[in-house]
Amino acid sequence: MTHQAVTRGGQTSLAPQHATPRIRVKGLGKRYGALEVFRNIDFEVGEREILAVVGPSGCGKTTLLRCVDGLLPHDAGEIWVGSERISEPIAGVAMVFQHFGLFPWKTVFENVAYGLRMAGASRSEIERKVPDFIKMVGLAGFEQAYPYQMSGGMQQRCGLARALALEPSVLLMDEPFAAVDAQTREILQFELLRIWEQRPTAMIFVTHSIEEAVLLGHRVIVLKGRPSTIHETITIDLPHPRTRATLREPRFAELRERVWSTLMHEAREAEFQLER
Amino acid sequence: MNSTIRRHAPFWLSLAAGIASWEIVGRNTSQAFMVPFSETVLRLWQLVRSGDFLTQLLDSAQLFMTGFVIAVAIGAPLGLLLARVRTLRVGVEPYIMILYATPMVALIPFILSIMGFGFAPKVLVVFLFAVFPVLYNTIEGARSIRPELIEVARSFRSREWALWREVMLPYTLPFIMTGVRQAIGRALVGMVAAEFFLSSTGLGQLIMGASQNFDTGGVFASIFVIGLIGVGLMRVGLMIEHHFARWRQ
Repeated sequence: MTHQAVTRGGQTSLAPQHATPRIRVKGLGKRYGALEVFRNIDFEVGEREILAVVGPSGCGKTTLLRCVDGLLPHDAGEIWVGSERISEPIAGVAMVFQHFGLFPWKTVFENVAYGLRMAGASRSEIERKVPDFIKMVGLAGFEQAYPYQMSGGMQQRCGLARALALEPSVLLMDEPFAAVDAQTREILQFELLRIWEQRPTAMIFVTHSIEEAVLLGHRVIVLKGRPSTIHETITIDLPHPRTRATLREPRFAELRERVWSTLMHEAREAEFQLER
Repeated sequence: MNSTIRRHAPFWLSLAAGIASWEIVGRNTSQAFMVPFSETVLRLWQLVRSGDFLTQLLDSAQLFMTGFVIAVAIGAPLGLLLARVRTLRVGVEPYIMILYATPMVALIPFILSIMGFGFAPKVLVVFLFAVFPVLYNTIEGARSIRPELIEVARSFRSREWALWREVMLPYTLPFIMTGVRQAIGRALVGMVAAEFFLSSTGLGQLIMGASQNFDTGGVFASIFVIGLIGVGLMRVGLMIEHHFARWRQ
């Protein structure tokens, strides 16, 4: 009994607000020519925190993530990961892509090994590590399969393994489960939670799905307007580890409703703006 | 076993019918125009035995291979470079289009007048025939790569050289091989054209010589061999293409 209470206490103290920030974004702005995508974006992500980002289509969620990865230049503000200021992709940050981004001419093994090879890992290190991560995402036995031979869910498992293999301190997830069917998506969400519990990292999880944001995130930020800004940050005070039971908690439904009403209000406004 | 026979039956039947018609038409036509299949094979055998044929074949092969290899060695890397560097592509593309569309035979007199009759101008002709399909297919192929894959490579911190080696080249290889396959056919045309119109050597000389001596059998034998070589090389090209495209469904 006492032990349990202590464990619960420990979990509460892991609340993200108190954790060291791994990612710091300050006054971030981005424009494509005359089109300003977002401005004044400020947030921090703790070392063991999942930050979910939701917003209507075209609000620049994906652009924001690409800026944080250093794939796209930003026009204003700063992005820091640890003590490094981001202007190009750095070691320790790995991304999982919406359309998996697997190299179709490489096998599962070769795809998972890609990041390690680019990081200059030795052959023996690759031979040792890659099978572990393939196993971690449940793809053992498919090492020699090509992407076209696998379902979307399996392909994204491979994409996840490729990112995890770098043992990054930051994972950037760009709507990773948007391109798979609903059942697979649910399975992958809980797989991701299981893996994250094993190896917690800082994570930014961009998604269209409110349910997904609330299920995975410690906090959810809602992007709003044109140009987008952070409309609201909602703390998701659901206990960890989150499982299928989390979905049945009244608090889950409450938080989902809250994010939903924020977003829907936003969606109506956006529609109205377009009509004018 | 039975089904294999049935599947290949049309091929062999068609081939037999073709040879039979050749034989029949050949026997009923003046020797000045055409000889039957049997006589072509016989003449080929005589030429091979005399040793003349092999000398000329090697001569042609040397010309073909030199021009062809240079064409691939320049066409493929240049194509990748043009696909990756936009400004270069926009500048160079009109010339490629013009040269690709120009019948290369029309350039032979010009090449003759500035380079004369040596080996080099003939290699140039073969090269010009072969390089554009390789170049063109490489550019088109490399440009069709999904931008996301370039992003993935950059996200995983690939340097420019790694981006070429790991992403651009493997993706483009099947397209390059399509160009190479087309280039084989065109290089053969270039080879014979060069041997006809520049200094007369190789199989081209054999055809011209036989023709001037009214040795219709010799003409047919040479053409027959060039055709067979073409078919053989294209098959090899197709096999290599399939090998590099095995990751495509």
